[in-house]
Amino acid sequence: MNKMTETSQVLDTASEKMSVEQSSRRDFFKKAAVYSASAVAATSVLAPVKLRAEDDPAIVEEAPWGVKLGDPVSKNKYGVPSPYEHNNIRRTTALLASGDEYASISMCPIHEQEGIITPNGLFFNRVHGGVAHVDPKGYRLMIHGLLEKPLVLTLNELKRYPSVTRIHFIECPANGGPEWRGPQFNSVQFAKGMMSQAEWTGVLIKDLIADLGLKPDARWMLAEGCDNSEMGRTVPVEKVLDDAMLVWAQNGEALRPEQGYPVRLLVPGWEGNLNVKWVKRLEFASEPFYAKEETAKYTVLTPSGKAIQHFYAVEVNSIITSPCPEKPWTDLKKGDLVEIQGLAWSGQGTITNVDITFDGGDNWVEASLKGLVLPKAWTRFSYMYRYEGKPLLLASRAVDDSGHVQPTIDQETAVVGVEAVYHRNSICTWEVTDKGVVNNVHIRKV
Amino acid sequence: MYTFEKYKKFISSAVVASVVLMSTSCNGSNDVEQKATAEPAKAEAKPAETVAAPVAPAAGEKGIDGGAVYQTVNGMYTSYAVNEQEKKDFTFGRAPTATEIAAWDIDVMPDGTGLPEGEGSVEEGDELYEEKCAMCHGDFGSGGKGSRSTYPTLSVGEASIDSLTHQRTTPDADGPKRVIGTYWPYASTLFWYIQSGMPFPHPKSLSDNETYALVAYLLSINEIEIDGESLDDEYVLNREKFLKIKMPNQNGFIPNIDGPTGPADAKAFYADPNNYGNGTRCMSNCLNGEKPNIVRPMNIIDDFEPPMSTERMLPAENTEEAGPVHPGKKLYEASCAVCHATDAMGAPNLGNKEAWAKVLDKGIDKVYANGISGVNAMPPKGGTTVSDDEFKAAVDYMIESSK
Ligand code: HEC
Ligand code: HEC
Repeated sequence: MNKMTETSQVLDTASEKMSVEQSSRRDFFKKAAVYSASAVAATSVLAPVKLRAEDDPAIVEEAPWGVKLGDPVSKNKYGVPSPYEHNNIRRTTALLASGDEYASISMCPIHEQEGIITPNGLFFNRVHGGVAHVDPKGYRLMIHGLLEKPLVLTLNELKRYPSVTRIHFIECPANGGPEWRGPQFNSVQFAKGMMSQAEWTGVLIKDLIADLGLKPDARWMLAEGCDNSEMGRTVPVEKVLDDAMLVWAQNGEALRPEQGYPVRLLVPGWEGNLNVKWVKRLEFASEPFYAKEETAKYTVLTPSGKAIQHFYAVEVNSIITSPCPEKPWTDLKKGDLVEIQGLAWSGQGTITNVDITFDGGDNWVEASLKGLVLPKAWTRFSYMYRYEGKPLLLASRAVDDSGHVQPTIDQETAVVGVEAVYHRNSICTWEVTDKGVVNNVHIRKV
Repeated sequence: MYTFEKYKKFISSAVVASVVLMSTSCNGSNDVEQKATAEPAKAEAKPAETVAAPVAPAAGEKGIDGGAVYQTVNGMYTSYAVNEQEKKDFTFGRAPTATEIAAWDIDVMPDGTGLPEGEGSVEEGDELYEEKCAMCHGDFGSGGKGSRSTYPTLSVGEASIDSLTHQRTTPDADGPKRVIGTYWPYASTLFWYIQSGMPFPHPKSLSDNETYALVAYLLSINEIEIDGESLDDEYVLNREKFLKIKMPNQNGFIPNIDGPTGPADAKAFYADPNNYGNGTRCMSNCLNGEKPNIVRPMNIIDDFEPPMSTERMLPAENTEEAGPVHPGKKLYEASCAVCHATDAMGAPNLGNKEAWAKVLDKGIDKVYANGISGVNAMPPKGGTTVSDDEFKAAVDYMIESSK
């Protein structure tokens, strides 16, 4: 895209906001004036003339968008959300940074998440040296080390390999990490928003290296980014030969720069940090590499003083997103039938069951799964509930097909303590008050 | 050792990368030729071992992560249909040259693979640290204030692992200290990371000798000893001595991932969920008659940017968005904010009335001139190659935003 179109697109967005606002305001004032004068006028000649108290002007009156031409099809060369949706955005907080905004994270608004695919512009974004902007023409991938035939590919050459498309979440293992010692955020976006899900397209690395003659003592692969931080991580060759991919597309279009444009590693179900962005180099070796992000960070310190290293998969987990602190039940009346919904996921397999409790974990009922149920993917669950206006302690618990059950807080801290920082997957509880307000609480003894 | 040209080159490339599409490849290394001859490609240096080649797990087997593994059965991989035609004998790409491999393969492994020859003293490291690191990491690695939170602490002045068993289960308890001397298992990580990732705003600008000096300095303030010797100012670290470093927490990590059985050891560890916590699927009376103990937030964090809202409405009229954008704003954000967003580096920071008033005491023309020719840690034109007018616009923007 050249500068001109880019600028005009930005301007278009701005003028769109203004035109919608101006026209609705103008119409509102016009109507308000008419109503106050006589209370009988209707702008439509087709509608009944007299507006009674029980009549909804949103139905009886012609809406401004119904009586004038909309935008021409040529308007947005790349579509943008309705300006009314401007609060559905990634958010940040100063706490979640290693100093400044270049080593930090922005959180996905999972309280607004519908279905299981996160729109590309809302995907959470964790960086260790800012978001790199890589020119695809200058991009090279190098594969070397313990292989008979090392290889260099351009982006176009890489994309010639057979592609597969799969739906997987990526979750930062620090998701929920600020809350090891107690709740801190009255928000699901901040309590659990270090994750998102997309449909990824790329090549399985096992296909890419099939001809390269991997040597028998190649047990590990370093994947390294070409960004400012040149972040690297060690991946066991077993994963490389299973489902690891190099992906160049996300939800049908090129990766966003925040997701590693033009190419990132995808290790389904594993710590977000292992899914190295802007990946430039894969080196096979017999021993692990001990990169900064697998020693100083992304290690799970347990009460014994020993830290779990190479903690690959994020474990089975779930969260109720409706209701949640941002989307409470304050508008419900007693007797309303309402759907409780949420997301369940496991980096160790496929979700098989989700249970729901209303009493803080004493008694549980099984919820339904709905929609696609895929391995290492967000899976929606649903439970129909007759609202009674009573206080609740509402929580979900997921189970996967590898025999893992989401633990209570006490079950998890009994093993890993409270200084682990990463891999917190214990049950999240919402306190629903008699007014329908939803608060983040912990059910725990320690 | 430290040349201004090099500094400038890296500043400007970092700056370019942050705004416009980077027109070069990802190659950040600066002395490719030299490294190619100094260091053979790593693959050949490693001894071949006689163990079975790693394979993907078979059907029904658990993966190395303790999770389920799926196979393609009758053309289906779980719910995905698969093209099962043979995929081999691809013809794309080419072999990298030895120089290319050497340019990119700069990682350093615990056994010394990849560690270049070179040397640097604690004293030299101290000077470099003051010049290039202290503005963020604080005096003696004590951590420093950034625009949003604190930059990582690099030392707590001791090389002890004793605090690692601390658990903050009471509000006043001291937590575990996880810095280089108390936590990192290998010094190789330090050399590799500093050379490829630091200093944060313009990485890949430190020579091998400079990196040795910085590592020596950081080890000395962490009170690490090498071969029984403590690292005083005159101590000169080189490759030979580096290979003798034993970090206090080398054995502080589980599972064991080293050696031929490393992957199998990891797999055994993750196959047992009791190593990392697992739940039970109890359906009724799970609390055994006890009431759930509710813990509410003590200190709610809600300084969200932007503030939380789920309203569906048109955005509030934003003067910044609607009004004309200052002509210097874009350049400021792209090229000056790295240093001028905070006072951490000693730069007059955006919005700091006093600091800018002081700068302006000498008259605007002198300020422009200083910025254009550079002054102390302020590189000429902030390391950019913009015109004088464009540069002045960015200065004006900073001044106008700091009134
Ligand atoms: C502009 C601020 C800044 C400067 C200057 C800077 N650093 Fe850093 N440093 C950071 C940030 C931010 C991180 C964390 C990056 C991340 O999150 O991955 C970091 C991380 C580190 C770490 C890893 C700490 C840990 O425990 O994980 C080391 C070691 C380090 N820096 C050394 C240096 C050295 C040596 C220099 C000088 C040559 C330097 N830094 C200059 C900002 C800076
Ligand atoms: C590498 C960090 C760095 C970058 C990048 C940088 N500055 Fe500076 N700048 C400084 C420091 C440090 C000072 C304070 C110098 C001193 O007085 O010791 C400074 C001072 C200045 C001053 C005051 C000069 C005076 O007379 O006191 C101006 C004006 C200025 N910078 C403009 C800019 C502009 C415009 C940009 C971007 C185009 C920029 N700087 C980019 C670090 C930087």
